[in-house]
Amino acid sequence: MRITGSLVSVAVVAAVAGAGIALSIPRTAGQTSETTRPDRIDGRPNFSGIWQANNEAHWDLQAHAARPGAVTQPGVYPFEYARVAAAPVVALGAAAGVPASLGVVQDDGEIPYTPEALAIKKANAEHWIDRDPELKCYLPGIPRAMYMPYPFEITQSTNKIHMAYAFANTARTIHLDEVDPPPAETWMGHSVGRWEGDTLVVDVSYFNDKTWFDRAGNFHSDALKLTERFSPLTRDVIQYEVTIEDPKVFTRPWRIAMPLYRRMESKMQLLEYRCTEFAEEFLYGHVRKEPLVTRWEGETMVVEITRKVPPGDKFYEWLRK
Amino acid sequence: MRTRLVLVVGAAVVIGALAAVVRPWATASAEADIPRTPWGEPDLQGIWTNEFDTPLQRAARYGTREFFTEDERAALDEERLKLLGRDRRVERGTELDVAGAYNSVFMSMKRTGRRTSLIVDPPDGRIPPLTPEAQQRAAEDRAFRLALLQATATCKNNSPACAGGKYVAAPSPRRDEPLARYNTARMNRHYGPEDGSLSDRCLSGGIPEFGTAYGGSFRRIVQTPGGVSIFYDVGQGQGFQRSIAMHGGPHLPASVRQWHGDSRGRWEGDTLVIDVTNFSPKTDFFGSRENLHLIERWTRTGPDTLEYRVTIEDPTVWTRPWTVVEEFTRQNEKENRIYYEPRCHEGNYGFPSLLLAARLAEKAYAEGRGPHPAFNDNATDFVGVEENPLGR
Repeated sequence: MRITGSLVSVAVVAAVAGAGIALSIPRTAGQTSETTRPDRIDGRPNFSGIWQANNEAHWDLQAHAARPGAVTQPGVYPFEYARVAAAPVVALGAAAGVPASLGVVQDDGEIPYTPEALAIKKANAEHWIDRDPELKCYLPGIPRAMYMPYPFEITQSTNKIHMAYAFANTARTIHLDEVDPPPAETWMGHSVGRWEGDTLVVDVSYFNDKTWFDRAGNFHSDALKLTERFSPLTRDVIQYEVTIEDPKVFTRPWRIAMPLYRRMESKMQLLEYRCTEFAEEFLYGHVRKEPLVTRWEGETMVVEITRKVPPGDKFYEWLRK
Repeated sequence: MRTRLVLVVGAAVVIGALAAVVRPWATASAEADIPRTPWGEPDLQGIWTNEFDTPLQRAARYGTREFFTEDERAALDEERLKLLGRDRRVERGTELDVAGAYNSVFMSMKRTGRRTSLIVDPPDGRIPPLTPEAQQRAAEDRAFRLALLQATATCKNNSPACAGGKYVAAPSPRRDEPLARYNTARMNRHYGPEDGSLSDRCLSGGIPEFGTAYGGSFRRIVQTPGGVSIFYDVGQGQGFQRSIAMHGGPHLPASVRQWHGDSRGRWEGDTLVIDVTNFSPKTDFFGSRENLHLIERWTRTGPDTLEYRVTIEDPTVWTRPWTVVEEFTRQNEKENRIYYEPRCHEGNYGFPSLLLAARLAEKAYAEGRGPHPAFNDNATDFVGVEENPLGR
């Protein structure tokens, strides 16, 4: 690139002129934004950009009422519906609740577990803090990475479509061309895609059995196979549907579906959520010389919560009268 | 179909324009002939690695000479070949023996590259001198780490890991000191996760990424009109995704710091230029942290070659900027030999075991069953590259 400055600018101007014709959209040299991005690439809908689900599926794929806490315990009543927030989240008050949801499971809204698998799902939910790989900052797997409450970026080319996720700074490449399978099972799956008209269809396989679907304990085995379908609803909304098959855990295939929304901020970019370090205390606190958490009893973290009323709080001053 | 036709015509216009303007003055890389995406940008896509071994810094004996002769490369390859298969184990059953078990059986070697160093500027191929402040910071850090080693066999036996320190048969009184700066490197103290190296914590993958003498440095580039993604596969499953903003806006506010910095890309002619700032103070690149500034230039130079040129500056660390050039070779797409799922953290049994072992050693000492933990060296890694005639 040892060209003089003026020649470079001539080349850039020429390239811009060419690009303007190519994409039928005016744009400045080498820059792009959501308003200048071409609608199609190589005759296919252009899904490039930053996207995010905007629903409650990351809490629980199935329809559910709001809950007082991510973890709950029996309250004064013996009824399931009257549970209260449990110690690990009680100090967070109303910020620690779980929002209600219409659910994303299609058809009858049921997840067709085998009886044995259903028992594991229930135990997972009961021991959520101990078992959910998300809390350890482990790779989230697919489809979970698609609807976690973090943005992800699609970079769409003609032979590869790359998806980069803010959570754990992870990624997957969807191969539209011929590719050898991975040498071993994976957390994020092996994604092979094809176009059916304007719909991107992706087969995902070669999973391990270590990832979950949500924070409600929904899980799968290493026999998991997914068929994802990405269809443009509008320029800024993708309809995302997944058929989930796993004969070791489910009695039949089942489907989830949801829209994915484009992050429209003009200067949107993917920021890091490199949570490995955030999970260190959770994972390794018990082998620290001076514990930071109140105490560890062997491998059990005992969290004692202190919440002080701030001086001058009018409500509490009134209460003390 | 109409869109596709327009795209093809458009691409032809771009290529035509560039060919007409650039070709007569093109350098040996013949820019106009490089592969292009259907939308006319230079095609940087694929899996790329440096297939040759080139030391970061040039050995003094080569002076300002940038390239080896072919005879020199052949001679170096022969010399290095003799190192393969050598058993470097020492004092069977000792800690050093275990550390030395990573001999060349585990470490493949790449062929000698054509360059005498990756650094092309300054002309001597060496990292520029540190500023006096940076020298002082480095010396203080080194002194603390040596104090933690002083009572161990490593210093007693004058191992290279104790260079600059001396053996003292008692634990250092500095042992419980907090560090002046966030720790990023292995040290002989294991009170908690923060005493571990970034590598042991699965937090080491970062940019700029120059690989190791043993390879294991791949990058997959995927492009879209006006956008680019770079995913790195580096040693020990510590690969990472890098996000590159191409919207032309200013860098992130100074309050937002990231492990991989804030990358702003733009095309300058046929070169993708990425400006990187906003690094986290928890990162460390040869002593440079939050003030590290990179200007990267990615240029497709041929059907299977990509040049990566990065200028590195930090006036709080180095007395001048320096520049590194790497020449990558495209890898087979179908074989897809890139470890695209970094799962160091998911399988990190080693790091908690290191911490647990430290707690057990403390307990044994407290109960009169073992030596003071400061007499153990649980920090010194294998030493092997010092024998590589290419040096590092």
